[in-house]
This record gives sequence, C-alpha cells and structure tokens, in this order.
Amino acid sequence: MNIFLLCGLVCFSALAITMHNLLKSAICLGVASIFLAVLFFRMGAPYAGVFEVSIVAGLITVLFITTIVLTKREGGVKERKLTNIFFLLFFIIFIMIDFFVMKGFIGNLPNMPVGSPNLAENNNFSKVLWQYRTLDLVGQICAIFAGVFSVLALFRADKKENNNE
Amino acid sequence: MSNHWLLNMGFAAALLFIGIFCLLTMKNLIKLLIGIEIMAKGITLALITSGVERHNVMVTQSLVITFIVIEVSLLATALALIINIYRHTKSLSISKLTNLKG
Repeated sequence: MNIFLLCGLVCFSALAITMHNLLKSAICLGVASIFLAVLFFRMGAPYAGVFEVSIVAGLITVLFITTIVLTKREGGVKERKLTNIFFLLFFIIFIMIDFFVMKGFIGNLPNMPVGSPNLAENNNFSKVLWQYRTLDLVGQICAIFAGVFSVLALFRADKKENNNE
Repeated sequence: MSNHWLLNMGFAAALLFIGIFCLLTMKNLIKLLIGIEIMAKGITLALITSGVERHNVMVTQSLVITFIVIEVSLLATALALIINIYRHTKSLSISKLTNLKG
C-alpha cells in the first residue's frame, strides 16, 4: 500500500511542475500533500499527518489559488517548450540511478542506533513537544509573527497614493 | 537499516530532484514556489522515515510541525512579495526582474 502512496506522491508532484495551467498545478500539489499525509498516518505519525492535511493541503493550496487568481490576467509566462521533455528524460535517468544506488545499499548499511533514550521511551507527544522541544515552539511563534508583520508591511496602503487618487 | 527506510529515502530523493529541476528551469515565480514546496515534501518524508527507523517518531513529528509552520510563514511572505512584484512589473516572469542586475 505504501508504495502506491509514494508513487502517487511523486506522480502528482511531477504533474504540478509540468502542467501549464497554474491552477491545476496548485491542485496537484494539494493532492500530493494528501498522499503524504496518508503515508504519515500509516507510518505512525498522526500529528504530522494532521498538520500536513490541514495546513499544507488546505491553507497553502488556498494561498496559492488566491495568488493565482489575483495575478492571472496578464501574468502568463511562457515556459520553454522543451522543458517538459527534458524533465521526463532527466527524471527517468535520475530514477534509474536512484534505484541502483538504493539497491546497492540493501544489506550494507548498519542499523541506526535508537535516539536519545529519554525521548524514545516517552510516547506522549505533548510531553515531547512542550518539555523537550520548547525552544522550537518559541521559534514557531517568532516565525508566525515575522510572517504576519511582513505580509502587513507588504500590503500596507501608501497614504500618498491614496490621497492622489 | 530496513528496506522500508531505503525505499522512502529513494522517493524523498526523487521529490528533491523534481523541486531542484523546477527551480533551475522554470521562469514563473509561482512555479518556483511550487518547486520549493515539493522539496519541502521530500524533506518531511525523509525526517519522518528516519524517526520511524530510530523508534523516535515523536521527536521527528515535532520537528516536522515546526518545519511546516515556518514553511507557511515563508510562503505567505513570498506570495505577498509576488503580488507586489506583479503590481510593479505586470508579469510573473523572473526575467523581468532585472532592476538590480549589474
């Protein structure tokens, strides 16, 4: 089952960059996020899956669509015609190299040691997030504020222009 | 190291390749952001896979959540910048952004 989800994820990601219509590209990106979220659920990471569905597949897709609608009329950029052909060619070559490299690694890599024992034994997600990764939360709050203030600054109405109008 | 880990890492590398190819070849600013998003997906997949392999998935989940929050903040700023660029140049092409070119 996981292999189908991974294939779907890669296929929709590839479609997102090869589609000429930006709206379809954004929707393909959202669908790829849903595949990734289902994969996270199946791997035993439900919190990451919920964030992936709600924020990446939901909020980011809406942000993309809003931007595309706001810039659609004259913003069309013609990509080179050969880009998609080059992409297919290089992608096939990369997949072949990737396959042979990964095949070479089978049985040759040592087992990974278990991470910090305190964290590995602790199965409570909220405890890990609030006690061991507190600094991350501070960083998240700073990032959110930085994002909000930068968007406010970028969309600030110019008083002189408004008065002239 | 399990085969499952190698398989997921292979697909994460494929996602990174798609994102890098998009960044190198596309001209449209929104397409470039889509490429960055695809690279971010590859990185989150690699992080969660490593966490599962090390039996430490709780920590990697918290890292991924931090990553997603920062990604959204970055994307909102980038999209606001793109709209402003569009208002000034009436185009989404990166080839029009030559004001700072020496």
